[in-house]
Amino acid sequence: MNNYDNSGKITFDAIVIGAGLAGSAAAMIMAREGLNVALIERGNKPGAKNYFGGAIYTHAIEEVLPGFMDLKPPFERPVTEAGFWFLSKDGMMRASVQGGKLEKEPYDAYVTLRAAFDPWWAEQAQAAGAFLIPKTTVIDFIRDDDGHGQVIGVVTDRPQGEIYAPVVIICEGVNNLLTQKLELIGRDLEPAHTALAFKQVISLSPQLVNSRFGLPDNSHGLAVSVVGDVSLGLPGMGFVYTNKGSVSVGLGVMLDVLAEYRLKPYEILERYLKHPAIAPLVEGGQLLEYGAHLIPEGGWRDMPDVYTGGVMVAGDAASMVNALHWEGTNMAMIAGKLAAETAIEAHSRGDFSAKTLSRYEDRLRERFILQDLRQYRNFSKFLEQHPEFMEVYPAFLNDALGGFFSAYGKPKRQLFQEILGALTDRRGIFKAAGDIVSMGRAVMGW
Amino acid sequence: MKRNDAFGTRELPEELQESLQDVYVDDLLVTLKYFVDENQPHLWIEDQDICARCQHKPCLYFCPVNVYSLAYDGTIQVSYQACVECGSCRVACPYTNIGWVLPRGGYGVAYKFG
Repeated sequence: MNNYDNSGKITFDAIVIGAGLAGSAAAMIMAREGLNVALIERGNKPGAKNYFGGAIYTHAIEEVLPGFMDLKPPFERPVTEAGFWFLSKDGMMRASVQGGKLEKEPYDAYVTLRAAFDPWWAEQAQAAGAFLIPKTTVIDFIRDDDGHGQVIGVVTDRPQGEIYAPVVIICEGVNNLLTQKLELIGRDLEPAHTALAFKQVISLSPQLVNSRFGLPDNSHGLAVSVVGDVSLGLPGMGFVYTNKGSVSVGLGVMLDVLAEYRLKPYEILERYLKHPAIAPLVEGGQLLEYGAHLIPEGGWRDMPDVYTGGVMVAGDAASMVNALHWEGTNMAMIAGKLAAETAIEAHSRGDFSAKTLSRYEDRLRERFILQDLRQYRNFSKFLEQHPEFMEVYPAFLNDALGGFFSAYGKPKRQLFQEILGALTDRRGIFKAAGDIVSMGRAVMGW
Repeated sequence: MKRNDAFGTRELPEELQESLQDVYVDDLLVTLKYFVDENQPHLWIEDQDICARCQHKPCLYFCPVNVYSLAYDGTIQVSYQACVECGSCRVACPYTNIGWVLPRGGYGVAYKFG
């Protein structure tokens, strides 16, 4: 492959910044159409910088890479049980679904570890012909000097590190400093819209994972959100995912809350792991890895402009996260694909202007990505304004069900009054009704 | 310019505060793989005088790997070698007083599990 043009510049048809879920998807699609693609990754290999819960959705992988299961993706377990665990101070109520559609192939989602998945995902881009450049950080852009200043390449931290291309797709992740440099958004991340997620991967034998989490065998897995006491009743949410021979246990808490209360993330996590309902699940396990990552939970209201002349932005860098549904990986992959399709179209026209690349935003709008982000645009604000969803209701659910399933030797009428009383003491019946309405409003986007 | 007056000012109920578990952070850090760039710190304090005037110093708490600590002379010490490049400090320093760039290509944290 000769990437030097007549003047000795290194030139590609397209540059992708970041070999994560969005970036490798974009590179794969463009390379498959015959474009000469540079896929630049700052880590020593793809995935080195990535940390998530988490699970990956198959609908997105299939859309980018049809028939991907034949290529042996490094999954941990399919998600065959999903739900919520409500933690009170010393108890837990579980609400989860299993069986039915979750049991059937093709599975909707797989529990995954990124240090294994992302290299495989990038390999698929390489197999399609993309050129992976690892250990390389992009620090700036090259602008056309014709007066418009359109981006025509990137500056990396390598000696003579300029690389030229008529179109650059930025998939730099949550710390979107390059996106900010291009003034596609006028501010850095807002602590009140950003969650700091931190987790431990804890080793357990596959047999112990199965028996402790009620899974019949290694081809069953669990993905749950944990609310309530897990985040000290503050805005935040925990999670548990079963890997093959380990479990991922962690939580996300809004960054402004951590700063306001001066909380140490690892102390909250340790408290969570010592919770009487959680500790037996991980007992005897050995810590394999601890880590932390930001999640841009502002969604719609923090989205940058996703295109300008010669540039498109996809994934976390563009705040493509649906915080309530833990979606983000799927949006990243599909947005990467849509950006790639737009780049292919631009190449066929020989026009990389903002006008041509605006088709990327049209494509996002036609799909669930912009529709969902718009619908949920008020949801993170809702949680800020309704802390009771993190504190009061999980505790109430525990008390109520605990009461329901206990005998106590007293009349049932009195018991139900006590259960209702447990809610009204905490919140007030009209307030509670109002909470339900405003939650509906936040979710439905009214 | 101060970003958020509420940082450091709120308190948990005593019972919750006491329920937090002490952690020896080095026990967590030993599980992480790093390629440390000895020549070029990618984090720094822009102006120690601003830190000296910062009443609550939330960076001493929210950093998930305890990069920031108070030195004997009262200045903020930056152990950039432990950084997992999450970005919290850049975003949540009340005075935007933390210099933050990505490590040079290939350096910094390299997750083994992710």
